[in-house]
Amino acid sequence: MKQAIKLAYRNLIGAGLRTWLNVSVLSFSFVVILFYNGLIDGWNKQARRDTIEWETGNGHLTHHLFDPFDPYTILDGHASINDLDVSDLNPVLVRQASIYPEGRMLTVALKGIKPNQSALKLPTQMLDTNCTEIPLLIGQNMARSSGLRKGDIALLQWKDKNGTLDAADAIIVDVFKTTVPTIDGGQLYTSINRLWEITNLKNEATFLIANKDYNGSGNIENWVFKTQDELLATLDKVIATEKASGSIFYILLMLIALLAIFDTQVLSIFRRQKEIGTYMALGMTKSQVVKLFTIEGLMYSILAMIVGCTWGIPILNYFANNGIPYPIDNMDDFGISISSIMYPIYSLKLILGTVIAVVISATIVSYLPARKITKMNAVDALKGKLQ
Amino acid sequence: MIKFLFKGILRDKSRSLLPIIITAIGVSLTVFLSGYIRGAMGDMIDLNARFETGHMKVMTQPYLKNKDQMPNDLALLEVSDLMDKLNLDFPEISWEKRVRFGGLVDSPDSTGLTKSQGPAAGLAIDLFSENSKEVDRMNLAPAIVQGRIPQKAGEALISEDFSQKIKAGLGDDVTFVGSTMNGSMAFQNFNIVGTVRFGSAAMDKGAIIIDITDAQNILDMEDGAGEVLGYFPNDVYDNDEAEAIAASFNADYKDSEDEFAPIMQSLKQQNGLASLLDYADVMSGMFVAIFVFAMSIVLWNTGLLGGLRRYQEYGIRLALGEAKGHIYKMMISEAVLIGILGSILGSIIGLAGVYALQVYGIDISQFAPQNNMLMPNIIRAKVTPDLFYIGFIPGVFAMVLGTALSGIGIYKRETATLFKELEV
Amino acid sequence: MKYAIILLAILGFSFAPQQYPNADTIIKNIDDNMYSNSLISTSKMTIYGKRNNRTITSKSYTQGSTKSFTEYLAPAREKGTKMLKLEDKLWIYSPSSDRTIQISGHMLKQSLMGSDLSYEDMMDERELTDIYNAKVTGSEVIDGRKAWVIALTAKVTDATYAKQKVWVDQERYVPLRQDMIAKSGKLLKRVTLSNVQKISGRWFPKKMNYKDMLKQGKGTDFEFVSIQFNPKIPVHIFSKASLKK
Repeated sequence: MKQAIKLAYRNLIGAGLRTWLNVSVLSFSFVVILFYNGLIDGWNKQARRDTIEWETGNGHLTHHLFDPFDPYTILDGHASINDLDVSDLNPVLVRQASIYPEGRMLTVALKGIKPNQSALKLPTQMLDTNCTEIPLLIGQNMARSSGLRKGDIALLQWKDKNGTLDAADAIIVDVFKTTVPTIDGGQLYTSINRLWEITNLKNEATFLIANKDYNGSGNIENWVFKTQDELLATLDKVIATEKASGSIFYILLMLIALLAIFDTQVLSIFRRQKEIGTYMALGMTKSQVVKLFTIEGLMYSILAMIVGCTWGIPILNYFANNGIPYPIDNMDDFGISISSIMYPIYSLKLILGTVIAVVISATIVSYLPARKITKMNAVDALKGKLQ
Repeated sequence: MIKFLFKGILRDKSRSLLPIIITAIGVSLTVFLSGYIRGAMGDMIDLNARFETGHMKVMTQPYLKNKDQMPNDLALLEVSDLMDKLNLDFPEISWEKRVRFGGLVDSPDSTGLTKSQGPAAGLAIDLFSENSKEVDRMNLAPAIVQGRIPQKAGEALISEDFSQKIKAGLGDDVTFVGSTMNGSMAFQNFNIVGTVRFGSAAMDKGAIIIDITDAQNILDMEDGAGEVLGYFPNDVYDNDEAEAIAASFNADYKDSEDEFAPIMQSLKQQNGLASLLDYADVMSGMFVAIFVFAMSIVLWNTGLLGGLRRYQEYGIRLALGEAKGHIYKMMISEAVLIGILGSILGSIIGLAGVYALQVYGIDISQFAPQNNMLMPNIIRAKVTPDLFYIGFIPGVFAMVLGTALSGIGIYKRETATLFKELEV
Repeated sequence: MKYAIILLAILGFSFAPQQYPNADTIIKNIDDNMYSNSLISTSKMTIYGKRNNRTITSKSYTQGSTKSFTEYLAPAREKGTKMLKLEDKLWIYSPSSDRTIQISGHMLKQSLMGSDLSYEDMMDERELTDIYNAKVTGSEVIDGRKAWVIALTAKVTDATYAKQKVWVDQERYVPLRQDMIAKSGKLLKRVTLSNVQKISGRWFPKKMNYKDMLKQGKGTDFEFVSIQFNPKIPVHIFSKASLKK
């Protein structure tokens, strides 16, 4: 065995350019496989990352009566936060309200949040203003369906804590763009301080968003803590389904690499018939020759991976950290184009899995054409006669 | 000349067959993967199309302005005339009418008083027609948890979670309470014949599905519909075509004074899907480019090796007096021929694969967590025009490039060396 | 000198500005006109929709401020639908489904039959004097009638409208207009009352228009066709059994 390995190695090095040609092609395929799968994983996970950044943060401490899918729970689903340690929690108070853009009535959820919060990517700092009108921040979908644009003023109606109706002008201070539709439709964001003022529900919240440093994990009295994973459960199910279809990509990509190896092997065996004849004349059994060629094929793949790692890892790393920017031309009413960044994700499972898969399949693919050797006539091979 | 080369290829199977096969495999992989990526990227869009936007959607203008409120008081009326017109003008499109509504579902106790009730989002689609594609489009059958799809008036599906919440299940009667198109109260009893899983928390919390004729009755929408959705055959979205159809339809109503005149929008024009579509296009384009590049490298290598392999032959031919340039030209032409043959073969195989996937799809239910309406567990691909030529990029150009590069060896080496390179 | 001062004092008195009448008195007089221990009435409600108008006829029985029973008579769509309100609970019976459904919680915010009135609006039957402090602030002419303008400010914390403004016919003690106002002063809803007639010794506005001032539209019209004040109403009318029949 050891001899075969040594011999195989020497053959490869001896072949010089041809070897390195094959190795570089293979290493390229190897890196491409990793890159590709990383891209797909990243694309799938993007939705998760976005949802965390825009909606779930590090989890929600929710009032036990509040059910985000049941607007009927908004009325009673809130309590005072005076007894809570809010150093890493961002309170949000939700009330039902109506807004009247151009005389039409829209029922909305009015969400008060601290303008200087850092748990979510929402541009809430725009709500830090002293205008007489109530400042509102809305998402692009909300803007589209309501017809409201930045700077527009519309009448807002709500009920205070006793059920008394009140109404006042509200101004749209900003419209944000997000890929997370659940925080967009039917919702208006305002400063929680202002909301406390106008509803008389001072220091009350419906739920609190935990930021990265939040250490608590359990429920506290009236409040139920929903972890990030719990909140993302539905999304994770979707991603799991996507993964199944992603495995088809993986298989198809592996096939490129294997094609390259197969191609090399077939041609090499074809070309080196004289050499094969020589081996056999020198006393190697046919199966030993087969083993030799198989190991050569295997070595290609190992060399390719080593080479691939050398030049691939820095590049893959760079993209994993900085992401791949791509511009999306958004030719809608607002005429803004956003630049989005895609982060490939390379899990250890992916890398190890690819390595093992490449090694195993490379071995098989090298072995198959090598079997032809067993059918060769040693004398004819030695003579160099093409068979 | 070509005939000569052709004959050469056909006769010398051992030399040319292999490159052709390898090229064909490479090309078919390229084509297949490109088609597959397009299909996979299209998933999100597909979801929106099936449930919300259709490939094209017709509503009245006021309904469009308020569409998030599902204002049935602003719905389309005289819908059968509208459908006739749509089927006449655009016969290749499947046009479906739907009604979306909201209300309360009330479950009675034994005396007929309210036992429990809950708010529900309502969806009325064509369940009863014989050729209706809506059931498949909504992926209803695999998403049924218990029972069956409604087959006659008065039958309804509700979401499984909702059924448990209001403690009403198969065989139970519930009452739907809502508003008719005119604002009157609508009460209607329904028998629950099945429960379904939507796959979206919001819908699973409270939703009811009924046939569109039932909705038209209880909501006083005689010959009415909230929206009419249009779908391309094979459910494959073609944006240019959709926009053309929408423009043509809207032109007919340009001068209409009826404030409830219909207006059509393509998928891209709705719901801010423009950016999602562009995103999917960019992503799939990127993936395909990377793949084509990788494939090209492999086939370039093949071409290179193929050329290197034949140094002996070239040596002989040079010795026989053939000019170097002539040999080179012949090499290239052969490579072109092989490339084209392989690409044609590969493209056919690849396209067949993509088409099969488009029509039949791969069922991954056993690998996926749950069957529900929103995420069908069938993987599909998509045949697009560029699939017809995309295989040729690696197939022909890469091959030829590889061969050309290896041919340079002819110029560099002495004839005798070539001769001896693969000694006899 | 002493004589002059006394004379001035007397003169001064007679030139003092005329005081507005006591608002509470006015409101009491309105209540005497408008409210009765029990009421049987037939009325028509016209709802102006975006596309067409609907007129719904109904017959109502009211006992005090806590019990009310309404049966809808026309059009065919609504015919046979019945509503029962007892204290703070509301039930609706629909003949087409033969079901009695309780409307509670947030369903009460829904509009009644698509009108500008919500179920909630119908539910609060507390008398104005229980909710508001009243004060007369002036006098205006409305629809050719001289009216006191009364400003109402909520004295309880859970009044739906923080303020109201009522114009009362000075002669007949019938409200001609009622504005419901938000805490901030924005006008939310307006009721316009007209067609004031004498019925059984009372002045009663037979027509009312109820309008949500924040929305576009014409609002909703109510017209009384017949009214019976203080009739004897059998107790069983205000029971869930009468919903079925």
